[in-house]
Amino acid sequence: MKKLIQFKNIVKEFDGNLVLKGINLDIYENEFVTLLGPSGCGKTTLLRILGGFLTPDKGQVMFDGVDICELPPYKREINTVFQKYALFPHMNVYDNVAFGLKIKKEPKDVIEQKVKRMLKLVGLEDFGPRRVNEMSGGQQQRVAIARALVNEPSVLLLDEPLGALDLKLRKEMQHELKKIQQEVGITFVFVTHDQEEALTMSDKIVVMKEGTIQQIGSPTDIYNEPANEFVARFIGESNIIDGIMIQDKEVMFEDKKFACLDAGFAPNEKVDVVIRPEDLDIVPKDQGKLKGVVKSVLFKGVHYETIVETRSGTSITVTMHVSEDKPVVNTEAKEKMSANDFYLDLEDIAELTEADIIARADAQAWDSESEDWISINKVEYEIEPKIGTYPVTFSTKAGTMVSAHMFVREANRIASKEYEEEIYAVNFFKKVDEIKESMALDTDLKTWANASAWSLEDGVMVEITDVVYDFDPENIVPGDYQVTFKTEGYEYMIDTTDKHEVGEEVGLLFGPEDIHIMSRKGSY
Amino acid sequence: MKQFRRMAYPYIAWSIVMIILPMLLIVMYAFTQKGNDVLTFKVTLDNFFRFFSDPIFMDVLKRSMWVAVLTTVLCLLLGYPVAYIIAQSSGRKKVMLVLLITIPMWINMLVRTYAWVGILQDKGLINTILGFFGIGPISLIYTDFAVVLGMVYNFIPFMILQIYTALSKLDKSYLEAASDLGANKVQSFLNVTLPLSLPGVISGITLVFLPAVSSFFIPKMLGGGQYVLIGNVIESQFLTSGNWNFGSAISLIMAVIILISMYITKKLDKTGLNEGGK
Repeated sequence: MKKLIQFKNIVKEFDGNLVLKGINLDIYENEFVTLLGPSGCGKTTLLRILGGFLTPDKGQVMFDGVDICELPPYKREINTVFQKYALFPHMNVYDNVAFGLKIKKEPKDVIEQKVKRMLKLVGLEDFGPRRVNEMSGGQQQRVAIARALVNEPSVLLLDEPLGALDLKLRKEMQHELKKIQQEVGITFVFVTHDQEEALTMSDKIVVMKEGTIQQIGSPTDIYNEPANEFVARFIGESNIIDGIMIQDKEVMFEDKKFACLDAGFAPNEKVDVVIRPEDLDIVPKDQGKLKGVVKSVLFKGVHYETIVETRSGTSITVTMHVSEDKPVVNTEAKEKMSANDFYLDLEDIAELTEADIIARADAQAWDSESEDWISINKVEYEIEPKIGTYPVTFSTKAGTMVSAHMFVREANRIASKEYEEEIYAVNFFKKVDEIKESMALDTDLKTWANASAWSLEDGVMVEITDVVYDFDPENIVPGDYQVTFKTEGYEYMIDTTDKHEVGEEVGLLFGPEDIHIMSRKGSY
Repeated sequence: MKQFRRMAYPYIAWSIVMIILPMLLIVMYAFTQKGNDVLTFKVTLDNFFRFFSDPIFMDVLKRSMWVAVLTTVLCLLLGYPVAYIIAQSSGRKKVMLVLLITIPMWINMLVRTYAWVGILQDKGLINTILGFFGIGPISLIYTDFAVVLGMVYNFIPFMILQIYTALSKLDKSYLEAASDLGANKVQSFLNVTLPLSLPGVISGITLVFLPAVSSFFIPKMLGGGQYVLIGNVIESQFLTSGNWNFGSAISLIMAVIILISMYITKKLDKTGLNEGGK
């Protein structure tokens, strides 16, 4: 096959932002090439440079061996299907499609023949006299394709043309486009952020990120052997696990060694291990290479998406003291008021403010009739930077008062070496009613316990994914309860056809060919 | 929204007193004879017969239409490129240009027309300058040229602003599409920009033609006493001849002509373009 288009070291800058950082890319004749990447990756800019709507700051665009950077769009043998179609609103379908031919001053009968043939190709034979505004999104899309193709370009550019269509129509158009491309046999350069679209239609996918190309390859290459974590994550949901390449064809993750097919890494190099959800099998737990517990099962239409946790994350357990205390009632002022005892870290005392105390104690006052909140006017407390119990009294302007205790303790945090993260939570006091009334108990429990987790490497917050407790929030009675907060451990997503029960202990099975190793050394 | 409806009452009352009532009076005067009082109405069509049978009035009507059409065409030919340039420019330059067009409109039209008298008269600015070069004096004022100049000067901002608004609403992707399909700049303009800016052109035409056809003080000041347009006739019937009935009849005829021309432009607008819709 012949190289039709060559991008040579294309650089483009907008207002000091490097949008394209030196793109080198060859596009061959009759190829369906997809530029894939998240928004802002430069894919549309690259397409617009090819279309002639932008000129690169550096580099060359070769078309059939000739540099076309300075050529205006109307002199290029390239046509574009624009993102919002840009159909001329003052013309009907026929005139829109005929536009390019009329400009070229082709004979009327030739124009008519070509337009009719093209409308037939896109399945709109009878729509010629229609106004474009009266057509649906999918039909407008077809008109835009016909309008571009009728000029018999050697390359058709498509700028996210399916973005505005609904899911069903999009799927239809994907097949349609592929069919049209095979029929007319020209090069299609397609821009999208939808990986599925790219995988379905393309001969070649170019994955881009922040103005650089991450990987170029066929859909199967990109899917099975992603060059790096970005590509792997972008191209589809995947299990990406930290691993160490012991030697060629042997990788270690989760403290176990596994055979794989990859080679060429340094001994003991840290790598990312990719296992696709459909390559994992769930087997009885003694037959698997890894063991775990089913955490969740989601029905996805044709399969179940099962999450199996092989090792739990960092966790911390705190005690929740539940009481049945009722709010203080001030019948004279028609006010009610409540506050909880609370725990406080020794190290937090120095920066303690009244607002903190009100928040921690969840101190509230309200009108007993209208339920309107009343502001707390005074907070009286004594505290010393020592472990102990200290009183605090909250009062309103009308003189309603409520007291609580502050328990000062050492901070309760647990670090995990394995995950290089630390988790923190504090014991707390709650009332039966507050738990019963909670709308989002997991979130409220995290707030009440002040639970948080962060990475020890860079201090970035780590999400607490699990809140475990053994009480029934609907029927809770006063007493002490344990609440455990957990970060995400090692979890595998598996596509299965069988439904597994949450909590079931299972084994995971995979072969050497299912393990894909990615270097951590960055881009392609 | 219902409670806001009441806020329209003062306007309704105002428009009844200031617009509808005077209109009815004009209709009443037009179809009655001079000298009727509150109790006796002598209905007649004489006023209309007089207008259409007297060749002088028909000439005046023709001349008025001609001046208005000429003014409109000149405004369009001069205004479109200006509007195009403003729409193409960006940032401060655009703001400055729009201001340049609108600032003169802050000053009373009458005052601005007086200024033209000063510029054009025999001992005015232009002839003084020409005098330095030994040319002239050329009689500029009290000519067709002066009247049309005054009208174009006064009404061209309406044309420019209408076209400019239409052009700046034009989606740039249409031009990209045209260029992509092989059209060079001129072809893009003729096939895309021009047809898509037609709604602006048509409302600009309406806004220039209407005041131009009925203007009376511009021909009076720049055309001198002898230059009579239909507006001047109406004015003199009311103010000098005191024949309110005949004046009303001419006003009514003008109103019908304006209505017809508005109807035609509306029609043009609809058939010329299928924009809108969504």
